[in-house]
Amino acid sequence: MSLFLAACNASPSSEPSNDDEGESGTDTEQATDEPKQGGDLIVGSIGAPTLFNDLYSTDISSSDISGWIYDGLVVFDENLEPQPDLAKEWKTSDDGLVWTIKLHEGVKFHDGEPLTADDVVFTYEIPLHEDYTGPRASSFEKIEKVEAVDDTTVKMTLSEPYAPFMDSLTYGILPEHILGDVPVKELGEHEFNTKNPIGSGPFKFEEWKEGQYVKVTAFEDYFEGRPNLDSITYKIVPDANALMAQIANGDVHQASVQSPDLETAKKLEEEGKIVLSTDLALSYTYIGWNQKNELFQDEKVRQALTHAIDRETMISAVLNGDGEVAHAPSSPLSWAYNEDVPKFGYDVEKAKKMLEEAGWTPGDDGILQKDGKKFQFEIKTNQGNKAREQIAQVVQEQLKQVGIEVKPKIMEWSAFIEDVTAPNWNYDAVILGWALSADPDPTAIWHSKEREAGLNFVHFSDPELDKLMDENTKELDQEKRKEMIAKIQEGIVEQQPYTFLYYPNDHYALDPSIKGFTHHPRSEYYNIENWWMDK
Amino acid sequence: MLSYIIRRTLMAIPLLFGISILSFGIIHMAPGDPTALMMDPNIKPEDMEAYKEKYGLNDPPHIQYLKWVGNMLQGDFGQSLIRQGTDVSYLIMERLPNTLFLMGVSTLLAVLISIPFGILSARKPYTLTDYSVTFTSFLGLATPNFWLGLVLIMFLSVQFGWFPTGGIATLNEPFSVWDRIHHLILPAFVLATADMAALTRYTRTSMLEVLKQDYIRTARAKGFREQKVVYKHGLRNGLIPVITIFGLMLPSFFAGTVIVEKIFNWPGIGLLFVDAAFQRDYPIIMAVTVITAVLTVIGNLLADILYAVFDPRIEY
Repeated sequence: MSLFLAACNASPSSEPSNDDEGESGTDTEQATDEPKQGGDLIVGSIGAPTLFNDLYSTDISSSDISGWIYDGLVVFDENLEPQPDLAKEWKTSDDGLVWTIKLHEGVKFHDGEPLTADDVVFTYEIPLHEDYTGPRASSFEKIEKVEAVDDTTVKMTLSEPYAPFMDSLTYGILPEHILGDVPVKELGEHEFNTKNPIGSGPFKFEEWKEGQYVKVTAFEDYFEGRPNLDSITYKIVPDANALMAQIANGDVHQASVQSPDLETAKKLEEEGKIVLSTDLALSYTYIGWNQKNELFQDEKVRQALTHAIDRETMISAVLNGDGEVAHAPSSPLSWAYNEDVPKFGYDVEKAKKMLEEAGWTPGDDGILQKDGKKFQFEIKTNQGNKAREQIAQVVQEQLKQVGIEVKPKIMEWSAFIEDVTAPNWNYDAVILGWALSADPDPTAIWHSKEREAGLNFVHFSDPELDKLMDENTKELDQEKRKEMIAKIQEGIVEQQPYTFLYYPNDHYALDPSIKGFTHHPRSEYYNIENWWMDK
Repeated sequence: MLSYIIRRTLMAIPLLFGISILSFGIIHMAPGDPTALMMDPNIKPEDMEAYKEKYGLNDPPHIQYLKWVGNMLQGDFGQSLIRQGTDVSYLIMERLPNTLFLMGVSTLLAVLISIPFGILSARKPYTLTDYSVTFTSFLGLATPNFWLGLVLIMFLSVQFGWFPTGGIATLNEPFSVWDRIHHLILPAFVLATADMAALTRYTRTSMLEVLKQDYIRTARAKGFREQKVVYKHGLRNGLIPVITIFGLMLPSFFAGTVIVEKIFNWPGIGLLFVDAAFQRDYPIIMAVTVITAVLTVIGNLLADILYAVFDPRIEY
């Protein structure tokens, strides 16, 4: 399942700091080497999985391991284009309502039973069932009906044309012959999800040693041929320092590298102990201005704030140049990225002038004032993300230049999220990041209907853009949809509800023996069935 | 003696209830809940609300507490909120042996090293030996576990490659006793250091006191060998206060495992507890708290019993 995860939390990959420009998109595959079978790969991760069933899990670790055990109908490649997985091909009716999906023949589950259209129907009917208790019901709400036409053909009927539908086709297919008799109500807590998951993916679940590792082994009868690796062990390392030590020691063959450890990783690379793979992440980091707070209700003030923040310097000082200045609520990796959005460059004088036009004038103490109120506020971010913690201080310094007093406040993740989101909105400004889906639909973050309970916690609202957002998912022509999304992005950027800070990079440390690795903006273990170890 | 044990055990019941109410209250006062980890545009607010409803997170705290206590009294610690479908008792039973093993070995290590050193120090007070032991003890007391752990990993594991960087066993290799011991040495040593230092100090003070007593002088006057005087007459009395202190130190050993397990990636309940605290996985936090409280009560009880065994003057 690829449509993952949102607010880059205290977690690893969000804030890198590297200044190597030339090594982006490293592909360690060497044309001269022939893939070899064998090898026990150990990958390290700071997160621990929770359960192996895409319909019920919410964390990246679970989803990564599920991706080895299960196959979905489609998969998004490194260019974020949908590619066939279990589905051989798919067709959409002219009105966009009926999707006919043709499955590969001869696909088997790990217990030897064949995977048929009935299993697909069974899987997709779970989140549509009224007793379903998992967190993904809304992802499937546009599906009206799922039917098996024959053993290898599935027909899905939607209630309205829905462009991001492809995202819903990435969920792992579950075996009806095992789970068919389990009441939907009990599926989420069924021991299948934790003790004995059976899918049709390249690797079979072998063992989950609590708090230590999850091990999977090659599935000999995989429909695309046995994977190269004999086994993968997903080692749970709950501390970044320990993870780095394990990489250095060769106890872990592959892991994502966090920004504070990047310099160490580079040294290890120089010593020939690892290979680093670096590329843009499908995410951006921003400052969100709470429009419930009257300080930030004036568009001109928000624009001035962006002009007053030097993002270039921020990237070079805090991230060691490892990242790109962000201008839009999208990623340059997305097909819907609009390069031509208005740019708000660093210009202190302009910022001062705009603030003055908005009625803010310096008081005796140098701090801007309006109607007896001082321009001072708190900027919150989450603990454990060093880059964000430093950015809060940089913002404090930079806004002081225009007469604004900022107090940084660093909070533990859970408490921070409760403060920032509905129904509390107890913050002035916030530094956060969004990891984006392969589909660029901006609705969940920017639609005004998402203000009251959803993720539009800055309270952005624009009726015209709302309309465009409502329409964008119904437009099946990608070019036309791209134009609509471009307009939405322009509209958002013009109003600066966020100051878009930067697009960060992802870094992976790989044992030099790993071959066939492809850097993917969303999936750390993309195409792992094709990896092999040259040992 | 038996009636004393029964009385003490009964007294522990209201104490444990008190601890559970306090912990429950404090944990639920902390802002945030498990849904903080679900901040994902693909998970709609209504789905999150359904999740909270399903796990009773919307119930008032006292209802949640009563439900929890009711289940706990029937031996059911509930299910993890984050790992749906996984019983908390399963998670704990998988991890508890690892923690007890680590604690046991490091306790043994602490006792085996600190008591001889304490005695040595007391036998030669105000000499270079005594000062060296004292200095080392204070160094041990003052060194934070996490710092020592990281330094040892950096030098002994990463630099020299003598020890594994963490974990309980080498992956993809068959079980071997040596492999287990190899993984155990560094975390057990780090966990033992702080308590080792304290125990050495207590032993020294206590032995110093005892060695000044008249009966020791009498024993020496009778011409007993110094070894016999110290170890037969002195040690038995000298260790009595140390045993009490030792019993009281058990919970701190447990607290120490939280940090050591995190650094050495040791899959025990300390690590489980830390993760659960960050994820607001209430059933796990409560279960570990209750188990810790029970262990503490048992530790204290054991200290009292051992006290009676070692000191014939004590009667219950």
